[in-house]
Amino acid sequence: MISRRVLELLTAVLTGSFGLAVIISSLDDGIGWGEAGVDPGTFPFLTGVIILGGSLYNLARGWLAEGVAVSRADLRRIAGLFVPAAVFVGAIPLAGMYLASAGYVFGVLALPKRQSLLRSLIIAAVTPVVLYIVFERMFEVSLPHGEIAAALGY
Amino acid sequence: MENLQALLHGFAIALTVQHLALMVIGVLLGILVGVLPGLGAPNGVSLLLPLTFGMQPVSAIILLSSMYWGALFGGSVTSILFNIPGEPSSVATTFDGYPMAREGKPTTALATAFGSAAFGALVGVILITFLASWVAQVALAFGPAEYFAVYFLAFASFIGMGGAAPMKTVVALAIGFAIAAIGIDTVSGSVRLTMGIDELLKGVSFVVAVMGLFGIGELLVAVEEELHARAVSSKIDWLEVFRAVGRLPKHATALLRSAAIGCWMGITPGGPTAASFMSYGIAKRFSRRGQHFGSGEVEGVIAPETADHAAGTSALLPMLSLGIPGSATAAVMMGGLMIWGLNPGPMLFVDQKDFVWGLIASMYVGNLVAVALVLLTVPVFAALMRIPFVIIAPLIVIICAVGAYSVSNSYLDVVLMLGFGVIGYLFKKLSYPLAPLVLAIVIGDKAEDAFRQSMLMSKGSLEIFFDNRLVTSLVIAGIALLLLPLLLQILQLLRGGADTRDEKVKVT
Repeated sequence: MISRRVLELLTAVLTGSFGLAVIISSLDDGIGWGEAGVDPGTFPFLTGVIILGGSLYNLARGWLAEGVAVSRADLRRIAGLFVPAAVFVGAIPLAGMYLASAGYVFGVLALPKRQSLLRSLIIAAVTPVVLYIVFERMFEVSLPHGEIAAALGY
Repeated sequence: MENLQALLHGFAIALTVQHLALMVIGVLLGILVGVLPGLGAPNGVSLLLPLTFGMQPVSAIILLSSMYWGALFGGSVTSILFNIPGEPSSVATTFDGYPMAREGKPTTALATAFGSAAFGALVGVILITFLASWVAQVALAFGPAEYFAVYFLAFASFIGMGGAAPMKTVVALAIGFAIAAIGIDTVSGSVRLTMGIDELLKGVSFVVAVMGLFGIGELLVAVEEELHARAVSSKIDWLEVFRAVGRLPKHATALLRSAAIGCWMGITPGGPTAASFMSYGIAKRFSRRGQHFGSGEVEGVIAPETADHAAGTSALLPMLSLGIPGSATAAVMMGGLMIWGLNPGPMLFVDQKDFVWGLIASMYVGNLVAVALVLLTVPVFAALMRIPFVIIAPLIVIICAVGAYSVSNSYLDVVLMLGFGVIGYLFKKLSYPLAPLVLAIVIGDKAEDAFRQSMLMSKGSLEIFFDNRLVTSLVIAGIALLLLPLLLQILQLLRGGADTRDEKVKVT
């Protein structure tokens, strides 16, 4: 269970640290008025300051937030979607887009027994084929084939 | 008169077999992404973007804009039949549309929605026809300082009128600006904010952000809310369609008011979502049957739908004539314009007459095509909603991953996309607005360039923003909008203070 307060604080800390990173990084690029006009770091520096300031304000406001934002059951459902998706993305460099997407669809549908084995297999097989036809053939956009395919000489 | 002539020329471009076919494809794809939760207009348009690179710009924009119209209509279908808004901008349509459909009047609800949506769109397009070239003419005289002032005004109106918590809007906007700055700085050539990662040299594309924020983010929200599609009958009774549309003129006041709100929110970038909510709220307050709102009231459907579509279409006005998109989807389209090698802004009306007027003419035709197609295909797309979410969800994740990858064949973009998905979920959950973030990514560089050029002209003095009457009034209007939420808060505090004092008096 995650309370609204924790979620607000977490988000504010997240945006705030991004702002801080932007500030530090743009200080290296130089800020202010230089010989060639406004230094390249100036604009990002200002946005960084605004992000950090706004995040601090949201942090303070977030402390006052009440109630439950995400219940335990919600969290389980979200993880059920996000974890396989992250595994899929993680598998792309090795397995390639086609193999990874087939495995992903099959895994999500068949393993928790949400769909019959046959149906899962069919959907898992059709997905990369459609991807291949639409992208590689029709629009000539090459999707990553992965290291496994490369090792096999594709 | 000149505009009408140009418009006729535009119709000659838009009414070719090839372009009509593109409209049909665009609208159908649009309805599809509009119907599917997790995929929306910004996503759909960015997904199609890489596929348009080989096309003529005018054909490409007709395809993309038709998809936008289709998505706006598709979002209302699921709102009314399933109580599931397919698009954020059709949330307000569920309030009265779904109760109406549940009472056994789904055709009435759908026809009313489409009829008023078409009216809203029509008003938006007419506005563009007569106003856009005039605005562009004024803008031709703009220097960098005026441009920066207009950008400033646009962003200030997000903060002042967007409806979200002002500080959250500020943070979202500034994050967008920072993301836009990643990569090689076009003015000085130096590398900025890459944190030493070489793949970031090319910058972060708005498409990657849109895929994550709107695609994955929305999926996560949808799976958490555990949507159950409990459909009412999706059969269309054609006689009732005409009867319902025939009854619309009776609600002329509501239609006109909602269209006006929509156009206003579309041009000043408030966006369709804010427009539909605002229109619904105002209709509820002013309608004689205001207390019946929420239980299937006709005007409760008319108000958000008209405003939604009026805002959606008129969002293209500032995009065409100033180079400032009025909504997230318009921002994506503008990104497309830049990729196709066009320079969005007033020069379009001089250099690219065919493009501009072809697009404007196609908006008239495209919306008609959309109304016809959406009515014809309601049963088909309603059946689509019966496909279990567990099957659709992984497919959408794959589509988003492929979409992010295909922008510049970079794996890092796919990882970033997933990261944007988490941000999108958090932001949606805590009502940070997403549209300003995307807008800032798209036009961040242009805004920065305008600022730096003005600084060069004035040798580093901010006085250039108060140099003449035009730029001064733009800047002051922007500042006023920025202060608006603060002022309202103070006013509320004062009134709140007065109220409690009254209570105290009563108690004693």
